Amino acid sequence: MVNVGILSFAHMHAGSYAACLNSLPNANLLGIADDDEARGKDMAARFETQFMSRDDLVARVDAVIVTAENAKHAEWALPAAAAGKHVLCEKPIAADIADARRIIAACDDAGVKLGIAFPCRYIPPVRRLKALCDSGDLGPFLAAKGTNRGRMPGGWFAVKALSGGGAVLDHTVHVLDLMRWMLKAEVVEVYAEVDRLMHDIESDDCGTLNMTFDNGVFATLDPSWSRPKTYPTWGDVTLQIVGAKGVAAVDAFGQKLDVYDDRRGATSWSYWGSNADLGLIADFIDAVENDRPFDITGSDGLRALEVAMAAYRSADEKRPVKIAELR
Amino acid sequence: MYGVGVIGCGGMGRSHAGYFAALPDVQIVAAADTNLAAAQSLAEKYGARAYHDPRKLLDDARVNIVAIATPTPQHADLIEAAAKRGKHVFCEKPLARTLADARRAIEAASAAGVTLMIGHVLRFFPEYAMAKRLLDEGCVGRPAVARTTRNSGHPRTAGDWFADPDQSGGVLVDMAIHDLDFLLWCFGAAERVYCKALTYRGPELTDYALATIRFRNRVIAHVEGSWAHPPGTFFTKLEIAGDSGLLDYDSRAAAPLQVWRKAQGDERAPGVVVPESPLAESPYQLEVCEFMDALRAGRAPCVTPQDAYSALELALAALESSRRGVPVTLPLAA
Repeated sequence: MVNVGILSFAHMHAGSYAACLNSLPNANLLGIADDDEARGKDMAARFETQFMSRDDLVARVDAVIVTAENAKHAEWALPAAAAGKHVLCEKPIAADIADARRIIAACDDAGVKLGIAFPCRYIPPVRRLKALCDSGDLGPFLAAKGTNRGRMPGGWFAVKALSGGGAVLDHTVHVLDLMRWMLKAEVVEVYAEVDRLMHDIESDDCGTLNMTFDNGVFATLDPSWSRPKTYPTWGDVTLQIVGAKGVAAVDAFGQKLDVYDDRRGATSWSYWGSNADLGLIADFIDAVENDRPFDITGSDGLRALEVAMAAYRSADEKRPVKIAELR
Repeated sequence: MYGVGVIGCGGMGRSHAGYFAALPDVQIVAAADTNLAAAQSLAEKYGARAYHDPRKLLDDARVNIVAIATPTPQHADLIEAAAKRGKHVFCEKPLARTLADARRAIEAASAAGVTLMIGHVLRFFPEYAMAKRLLDEGCVGRPAVARTTRNSGHPRTAGDWFADPDQSGGVLVDMAIHDLDFLLWCFGAAERVYCKALTYRGPELTDYALATIRFRNRVIAHVEGSWAHPPGTFFTKLEIAGDSGLLDYDSRAAAPLQVWRKAQGDERAPGVVVPESPLAESPYQLEVCEFMDALRAGRAPCVTPQDAYSALELALAALESSRRGVPVTLPLAA
């Protein structure tokens, strides 16, 4: 049995992770700590666990899940690592590269596992695309195209001091991680257009990234918060790989019903595909329980963050930016 | 009665001939092609005269209108020669292979006072025309992010001129240019473009381009053009997102007629499904009608030579960006 604490419910995914923990036979959601006490107590009641102080909780668990605001990931993760607890960290790994490196170093020094929450790797259609890429059936990779559009999430996401960036930071990392995973290559250069065009917020809400990988593949990625309120779902994750022998494209959340509900006066898409978060949490718990490596590492989180940061610099300076410039 | 001379009697030439011939005051009087058999075949269909040399067709006094459907590098010379002889010109896209050629063709038509229209037919496709109308009516609010896709297998034709980017310009100049024209029509002038493409560097008979365009009105557009899909593939997509809405189109979803034919002879063989999206008026008919209306009224067609120039310029800027690895700012020097 792996005892787990969730640190901060600032990120809405914490609720899903809590539900996953409660459903796993080998995991126990021992408690919740939160710097927003009212929120923490409310969530503890909802997920049938205890609200605790950070230090109490960290002392008693085997692992923590950090779902704080991006800018607070380090302040929650470092004490947990120092206490010898494994850490699963929500994406992006941090709000800036320095914090990301601190988190990685702290976990490394403490000899604890550091995992990054990239649940898209656990979506079965995505895993099929990965298997297809690994098989060589598509031939040498030539290009890739991805999207992770969404609705503007509001709250701290659009406040730079808490998030580190808007749509580009929020939505580059999932698909960039998938591209690295599938192409088995690293980004060397980024050119991006970034802007705030749709919402009255502080941070960016749209853009398009253009990336060159070290194996010659070129790719684009649209991370925009461009789904209007009336869009039938929250957004999408899509990835297309163009190879010399063929093209493959996945719509990760394409398994859905179209629902027309007069009571809500809206059309909605109801996703019936497999639970990616459950795949992620189950895998992390299993890695902790059996003391084996967890595949999505702090380095994966840092690589994805670097691309988002390079995109911001590129857009500011209106030129392609090499990842090496950030190091 | 107007007499049309068709120069270039391949697929598009034959197609345009049919749409011109459908008009009561237009007849096909001449056809020219470097492949004389192709010219003769088209000529025979319409009782027209066949020529091997397009210059001879241009000297034919019965020709008032020239329809050009040759490989791209020949467009400018033919437009210029036709204009100098007072012939009106309907020419397939792209306008030319280079901006210098494009400029000279436009100037020749303007100096001669003849009607010149380039076949940017996408504007006449009802789904694109409706998208533009809805956009103008404010259905997405202030537009912000647009995406277009035009994916095909590699085109093959006599001489395989498509496969030579020096002639065709590759997927950007030959095919994605439809979407570039549409985006310019929607959003106005482009500020800069960054593009990566396999043109000049990909495997044989494979081309693929991804371009990101920033328009002067701040819209960010992503354009995908593929000649990397298997033969027989063709589909298009359009999405425009703005601050209060979004419109979305995928040609694969608009297949109102589908027919599944069983393979005859072998019950086990997979059949073939052929989707169709029929219309009362073909966009190609609509564009020819617009050309003729403009000609008769002595006005500019709704797709102006300058529009065609801008589309070519954006395509060439994207191609230049892909070769130099940097964003390219518009306008380009000719």
